[in-house]
Amino acid sequence: MSALLEVRDLYVRYPRSRRVINQITGRGAAWVDVVEGVSLDVSRGETLAIIGESGSGKTSLIMALMGLVTARRGDVRFNGEAVGRNVRGRLQPDRRRIAMMFQDPAGSLSPRMKVRSLLAEPYRIHPGVADDPDAEVQRLLDLVGLSPEFADRYAHQLSGGQARRIGVARSLALHPDLIIADEPTAGLDVSIQGDVLNLLSGLQERLGLALIVITHNLNVVRHIADRMAIMYLGRFLEQGPSEEIFRHARHPYTRALLSANPEPDPDARTERLELTGEVPSLLARPSGCEFHTRCPFVQDDCRAVFPSPTRLDTEHQVLCHFPLPDPDV
Amino acid sequence: MTPREGLIASTWRQLRRDPLGLAGLTIVVVVGVVTLLAPWIAPHDPLEIDVYNRLMPPSAEYWLGTDQLGRDIFSRVLFGGQVALKVSLVAIGVSMAIGLALGMLAGFGPRWLDRLLVVAFDTMRSFPTIMFALAIVALLGPSLNTVILVIIIASIPIYGRVVRTQTLALREKDFIKAERALGASTFRILVFHVMPNIAAPLLILASMDVPVVVGMEAGLSFLGLGVEPPTPSWGSILNDGYSYIRNSPWPIVAGGIPLIVVTLGFTFFGESLRDIFDPKLRSKQ
Amino acid sequence: MSEPEIAPLLEVDRLSVSYDTDRGRLRALRSVSFDIGRGEIVGIVGESGCGKSTLISAVIRLLASNARLDDGAIRFDGEDLMSLAPDRMRALRGARLAMVFQDPMTSLNPVLSIGRQMLDVQYQRKASGTDKRERSLAMLQKVGIPDPERRLREYPHQLSGGMRQRVAIAMALLMEPALLIADEPTTALDATLEVQIIHQLKALQADFGCSILFISHHLGVIAELCDRVVVMYAGEVVESGTVRQVFHEPRHPYTRKLLECDPARISERTRQLPIIAGALPDLVELPEGCVFRTRCDRAVAECAQRRPALEDAGDGHRVACFVARSTS
Repeated sequence: MSALLEVRDLYVRYPRSRRVINQITGRGAAWVDVVEGVSLDVSRGETLAIIGESGSGKTSLIMALMGLVTARRGDVRFNGEAVGRNVRGRLQPDRRRIAMMFQDPAGSLSPRMKVRSLLAEPYRIHPGVADDPDAEVQRLLDLVGLSPEFADRYAHQLSGGQARRIGVARSLALHPDLIIADEPTAGLDVSIQGDVLNLLSGLQERLGLALIVITHNLNVVRHIADRMAIMYLGRFLEQGPSEEIFRHARHPYTRALLSANPEPDPDARTERLELTGEVPSLLARPSGCEFHTRCPFVQDDCRAVFPSPTRLDTEHQVLCHFPLPDPDV
Repeated sequence: MTPREGLIASTWRQLRRDPLGLAGLTIVVVVGVVTLLAPWIAPHDPLEIDVYNRLMPPSAEYWLGTDQLGRDIFSRVLFGGQVALKVSLVAIGVSMAIGLALGMLAGFGPRWLDRLLVVAFDTMRSFPTIMFALAIVALLGPSLNTVILVIIIASIPIYGRVVRTQTLALREKDFIKAERALGASTFRILVFHVMPNIAAPLLILASMDVPVVVGMEAGLSFLGLGVEPPTPSWGSILNDGYSYIRNSPWPIVAGGIPLIVVTLGFTFFGESLRDIFDPKLRSKQ
Repeated sequence: MSEPEIAPLLEVDRLSVSYDTDRGRLRALRSVSFDIGRGEIVGIVGESGCGKSTLISAVIRLLASNARLDDGAIRFDGEDLMSLAPDRMRALRGARLAMVFQDPMTSLNPVLSIGRQMLDVQYQRKASGTDKRERSLAMLQKVGIPDPERRLREYPHQLSGGMRQRVAIAMALLMEPALLIADEPTTALDATLEVQIIHQLKALQADFGCSILFISHHLGVIAELCDRVVVMYAGEVVESGTVRQVFHEPRHPYTRKLLECDPARISERTRQLPIIAGALPDLVELPEGCVFRTRCDRAVAECAQRRPALEDAGDGHRVACFVARSTS
């Protein structure tokens, strides 16, 4: 069974200095490389979580996949077919098959439009998908558990959770196969974060959707992700089945991330793996293994040589010279 | 969560609590209505000359007195209002439309187009208006249409700049990105998503621009570059009155009053609208 | 309970604050009471709309112009803050009461160098410029900023988010305040950074002996850092006590549900995450009775009639709930 979405060696860079002189002499770094050779697969009905902190490039990755920014290099196949690029080098995915949900719940809804228009708009942009947009509006509201009266509200009249649901509804409009959600729980109180996630997993089961969830919140991901990828400075440091990674993270960064979310229990002694320093600037990438500046297990090799991917399993991959041992083995 | 009311209702509610804004709105409405009804409510023909009654002070017959040719100033002021109204609507309307289009192109389009338009805007703005008016008048002769043309050309860059700034700010917002992710065309985004969201600042600008435009027309007409006599315009009334100020102050006063009233009215109203739409103040509710 | 009667450093006593809005009076805080002892770290846990911001604004007396003090008092070291003269209050702020905000980019002046700002913060000290500079350097080192001399010359935008927050903490502690108020200082930071900064804060507190009022919605961080915790909901204190009391034996239904929802708590993988159904009540048109009633699964008749008062359930563990008190 081939994957629904296959990404191979995706690179994204942003121009930094527009001065031609800098681009010629190479001084002052003309480009910032934000995604450096990412490969991933997502199968039908599967949820992939991409975890990363600020500067990891996770948002740029999905923006490139959606064609909102230029992907410098890389091959993307959707449903077995190659995704083409436009003149500016931007990928052109079938927007009816891949939908995206943005981070800010209310901010991703056009302020001067009623919910009704917002939900009907996908059908106006892509005529032929539905005969009766108004009926679809009701169907969508129903799918996300909102009563019909919400159709007449404006974005600023919705609570965070409600706005988030409208975002979900909108992304479902054209019957996509894959939804990419950028920080779906951002801005929501803990007591209602579960709501969105429950909704997404429920819909996934009902509609057979594949999901890519971008987040920095590991705990949230545990419950909905089948597989996950940990991103740092534009690369995947670890990739594999989420259950396995949660049990035995093999990359020190993953371990650190996992232990960074303390339990609300004052007596809990978490096996805290504390990192030193901060995320290096993308303009000053460390030599060798780019994580070495913060790694508590750093060794000489790490500073000098860039690690090649280690296959721990058919599904589990790590980018580390000395992956942490698996206690079970 | 109780749904708060829609935009117009909430604007009206806030406007009601602002006495200056209400006063401004009232003035605007009254002036507008009176001016529109000028042909029916003017007591005299504004062009009717009656030399025997020249430069009379206000009386029951001539509410604001008469000018140097015995014409009823009040009627002339009313009809002058029509000129002001026509000029404002046409000039602001057209320059706003063109400025909107160009501004959105500059803000949303490719960088080279933006730079080109910004240079164009700045060039247009750097021309002193009077000089510019003189040049156009020399080409086309003085008339109301000339005045309107001058004002349009002088105003386009102002609207264009504001629209450009607003569009640039909007460009990076999540909801615009969401529309692009949906596959919406640039046209659709500009018309349905950018325009409605910059309408508010634009309308406020337009409202504050009315006194400016009216003043510009008055100024140009005062200099003889505008409406041809005997057409009354507030500026030409002022011009006439200027020559005869020692004989009777009334023409000047009468020509000046409507300008002051309109300026105050639109300014109060526009400022009130601006405060209402200020997002920082809005969040305090 | 016989304890030596040392007056608490900060005493919030039945504080009630409301705002005048066009829709009416918004009752943001209602009879909020808690105190902070000397050298104690107290955490305030609450979600959006619980009144945290109003509370902090009230303590440092920077409430909005449409805010009204309906009742209650705030006593800092015995002095009633609400009735203090403005210049006395200003003298307190920065010197004995310091604050660290959530977003360091807006709390640091973008056009002044770090060194300049750190110097300015010490304006109340009678010391030479060199002395103040020395102090700034020492403090930057204490908060774990490498190469402090260089940082003094730099501007906020040249520093990363984590470093800016450390600078903000350093600035707050420069005058060795008695009370440090930290309003979600790590919310905007990555998890791995948050951990570092919390540890730093804990070490600094042990070093300086100041009290800390720590506001956060991150339960795990509160459990790790704080000695005592106050749980707020929709403008009221619903539960307070030591972190052990509140996190091990939560009594108020809201606290219980909140802990249930915390993803870190949920050890078994589940497809259906718990939530608290319902929504916050309208603070302008407050319902009768307990403010949490509409979302509570253990409400009884009494809950709709009267507001439960915050009462001691034993050992200083206080709860505002009719049902919680009757069960053990």
